[in-house]
Amino acid sequence: MSVATTHRSLLARWRQRLWRLEARDRGAVVLRHQRIYILPTRRGLSLIATLTIMLLTTMNYSLSLGYALTFLVSGVVAAALLQTYRNLAGIVATPLAAGEAFAGGSLPFTLSLAAGTSERQSILLAPGSGAPVRIDLPLGATRPLQLSVDASVRGTLALGRVTVSTDFPLGLWRGWAYLHFPLTGIVYPAPEAPSPPLPPGPDGFDAQRSARVTEADLAGLRDYRAGDSLNRIAWRAVARGAGWYTKQFEGGAGGGVVELDWSTLPPALDPEARLARLCAWVLACEREARVFSLSLPGVNIASGSGAGHRRQALVALALHSDAGIVYAGEVAP
Amino acid sequence: MNAAAAASVAPLARLQLGWLAALILCAQLPLWPHLPPWVVAVGSGLVAARLLMPADRGIPAKIRLWLLPVLALAVALGLRANYGYFLARDPCVAFLYALLGIKFIETRSPRDATLLACLALFLLLTRFFYGQAIGSAALSLPAVLVLGGTLAALRDPASAARGWYAPLVATARMLFQGVPLAALLFVLFPRLAGPLWGAPAEAGARTGLSDSMEPGSISSLSLSDAVAFRVDFVGRPPPSAQRYWRGPVLSRFDGVQWSAPLRLPGIHAPERGPAIEYTVTMEPNNRPWLFALEHAAGLPRPPLDDVTAPIAAQRTLAILTDDDQLFAATPVTQTIRYTQRSVLSDRFRSSSPRDARINLQLPRGNPRSVAFARDLRERAGSDRAFIVAVLDWFRREPFVYTLAPPLLQGDRVDDFLFDTRRGFCEHYAGAFVFLLRAARIPARVVTGYQGGEINPDGGYLIVRDSDAHAWTEALLDGVWWRLDPTAAVAPSRIERGLGAALPQGEPVPYLARMDMTFLKALRLRWDAVNYQWQRSVVGFNLQRQREVLRDLGLESARPWQLVVLVGALAFAWGVALLGVSRAGRVRADPACALWLRLCRRLARAGLPRRPSEGPLAYAARAAERWPRWAATLERIGDTYAALRYGPADGTARERIAALREDLAALPSARRMRGV
Repeated sequence: MSVATTHRSLLARWRQRLWRLEARDRGAVVLRHQRIYILPTRRGLSLIATLTIMLLTTMNYSLSLGYALTFLVSGVVAAALLQTYRNLAGIVATPLAAGEAFAGGSLPFTLSLAAGTSERQSILLAPGSGAPVRIDLPLGATRPLQLSVDASVRGTLALGRVTVSTDFPLGLWRGWAYLHFPLTGIVYPAPEAPSPPLPPGPDGFDAQRSARVTEADLAGLRDYRAGDSLNRIAWRAVARGAGWYTKQFEGGAGGGVVELDWSTLPPALDPEARLARLCAWVLACEREARVFSLSLPGVNIASGSGAGHRRQALVALALHSDAGIVYAGEVAP
Repeated sequence: MNAAAAASVAPLARLQLGWLAALILCAQLPLWPHLPPWVVAVGSGLVAARLLMPADRGIPAKIRLWLLPVLALAVALGLRANYGYFLARDPCVAFLYALLGIKFIETRSPRDATLLACLALFLLLTRFFYGQAIGSAALSLPAVLVLGGTLAALRDPASAARGWYAPLVATARMLFQGVPLAALLFVLFPRLAGPLWGAPAEAGARTGLSDSMEPGSISSLSLSDAVAFRVDFVGRPPPSAQRYWRGPVLSRFDGVQWSAPLRLPGIHAPERGPAIEYTVTMEPNNRPWLFALEHAAGLPRPPLDDVTAPIAAQRTLAILTDDDQLFAATPVTQTIRYTQRSVLSDRFRSSSPRDARINLQLPRGNPRSVAFARDLRERAGSDRAFIVAVLDWFRREPFVYTLAPPLLQGDRVDDFLFDTRRGFCEHYAGAFVFLLRAARIPARVVTGYQGGEINPDGGYLIVRDSDAHAWTEALLDGVWWRLDPTAAVAPSRIERGLGAALPQGEPVPYLARMDMTFLKALRLRWDAVNYQWQRSVVGFNLQRQREVLRDLGLESARPWQLVVLVGALAFAWGVALLGVSRAGRVRADPACALWLRLCRRLARAGLPRRPSEGPLAYAARAAERWPRWAATLERIGDTYAALRYGPADGTARERIAALREDLAALPSARRMRGV
């Protein structure tokens, strides 16, 4: 029993070591020989095959210079292998941040790459799905870079395994290493488009009134809180050096509280369509600077406005599950 | 992945095509002198033509479909007509040459480019079929650099942003780094005693001594400065007049051409007398002849036979025929070396009963010569007196030694002896043998080399094609005597070489001239370098490899041991190369290294650092987790933060020492985990 466990754990350890299938790279990772794989590219294989044929010809005709040429080019190929290895070894990769996205878009993750003790050329970072990014690093440089991962389904989205690779200098060898950081971003539902107008408020106020906020509605200033919309910052006060304040408007914003409620939506809509519509409305509220509240099965978000409020609502939509269980634990604000 | 896939189907950029064209031309260039001019024009012309077309397209698809196969077929047929055969080495090299151009005009994708780069590399090798002098090696080096540049450009066209020479410099560096590995493989890679398949010998003539001679047809042989072989003597070389290098013996005469009879193995009866020993390094001549000074006192054997005794026992280099010629088992297709012993003598005892019979045969014709010989023989009274009289007659009459004799017509011997009287060794030897046979004395023509030049730079003898010579032998009382009628006409030819024998104003092969100019001294020095090159690089064969292995004390190593040795040395090479590149670089900050050690240890103990945590916060969290070592942990955090972010106050060294001490004071991760 214990032997079997040991075996399995040993096997799992080796599998993790070889393929890095689990996100266990916490913090900065230095690429060392344990992580770096090198194999010839197709072009490299062609060249090696050519060298083999050259060697056979040389042996048949006893051409001393044929040996010299074949081995000299082989020496170049071998030196290129070392250079490919050296181009990767010693790179330090650090996970920085996970972004957010709407379903159907792409979610940006930020990593930083440090060149360390030598210059790096043509380093390719490829996430599991999404476009690879190429970067050159001068000696000693550290550069942030953004990897975009295709976000197709709402919910949480892990960066997954990233492949760092290079075929520098001659394209004969491809060296690569796997990085698996536990970075997770959040994917909001794709907003319904075009979406129906916002539902009317509880006081029967017409929510359709396109109420642009004007300075006339300004009710006062309050202390700036992180997440407040840039549009509402009292820039004049900032410019005066008086500090950071956020403008507050009469009645929130022109049209009273908008109640976004899962249960009032037409029963014909399936859950995802409901989420998409609610998402579109949340964005509309934000756009029109309206105060809104959101209630989903199991989640109630009191009325409010601002970027923090909006985000809270969107996260609730993203993580909504039919079972009514919402986990917001892992998602950093 | 997507971008990489897209890049592999993207058409080639103009810059990449330029590199590829340069590579192909570099690989083609060394072959120019060895291929028919039209192949050179087609193969290289098409490369130039492609550069004039738009980079991304090449020729239109419709034309491409039929043009390329048609072109390839046309070239193949042309080669068949040119060489008379197709499936042989030379036509195939020519076809590959042309194929590079044909393929290049339709090249658009990186995959085509890979194929072309590989073909060009192979074409570079084929140059060595035609000679392995220093020059051809030097001509290959730029192509290797351009190959590196091409590969770099194919990998990333943007790499040109650093300047067109940057990939060349990078490749030169890699070439330099690869040299130790290449040298290791060159020395230790097992050499074969014979070919893997087929005969590497190429049908077709090379310049050099031939198996027959036709006095009266102009020979261009004497005008070639090419080296036939070089000789290292043990002790002093014999004087020029005794340096007769015996080659094919010509006994048959049909009135126009002298040719060799069927060769039979001889019973070897070595001459008595003091023998001299020397080592011959022979250039390949595609003929099965080895040369020895007259007369061989034994069979040739590989030099330094103590090393190669097993080979020498297995492999007979040559046999001695019944007319005393060294005849190799196979044509000499690569540079070979052999040690030979000779007794310097102008006679040897005939061992073959057929000698007297076949060496009297005369064709009809030449009545004047026959009458002259019979008449002179009767007046002379004896064979010996007759020979002296004929040589005397040559000396007395106005015979001229010249390399540009008039053509002979009709009864050629008559024409030469009594009308033109201008000729070189072949004429004199042929006519002399004719006169002797007419007087019923068995005689024959011997060809080979005579003389040679001592190179003061290397202390060895160079024998060139221009030293080729023909002399005669007469059989008197069962002994073959060497007789050289050319010596009677132009004694200086034998004593001082061709340049001395020719009258003023005659064209003389450059290196056969007598004046020792500065240029000639330079040429001799160059030849000495070449000789070393031939011996140590080109001539590095099974024999030499065994010598080197013996010098290294590896002669009894088994193959797998050598493989392990090569692997170990290659590994050492890689480690050394990686180490060298790291040396001299900035070393990791010691404070940082210590801090990372702490982080690793605490992570193993179950408390990994959060990405957002700085040293102070992390140390505080660790102190909370392990109150027993709280003071040490917090001190480490403080010290590291001060070293890293505080002002430089000259106490860094002490602080690092303190950091190290604190780290050592902490228990192991396992123990911490248990707390």
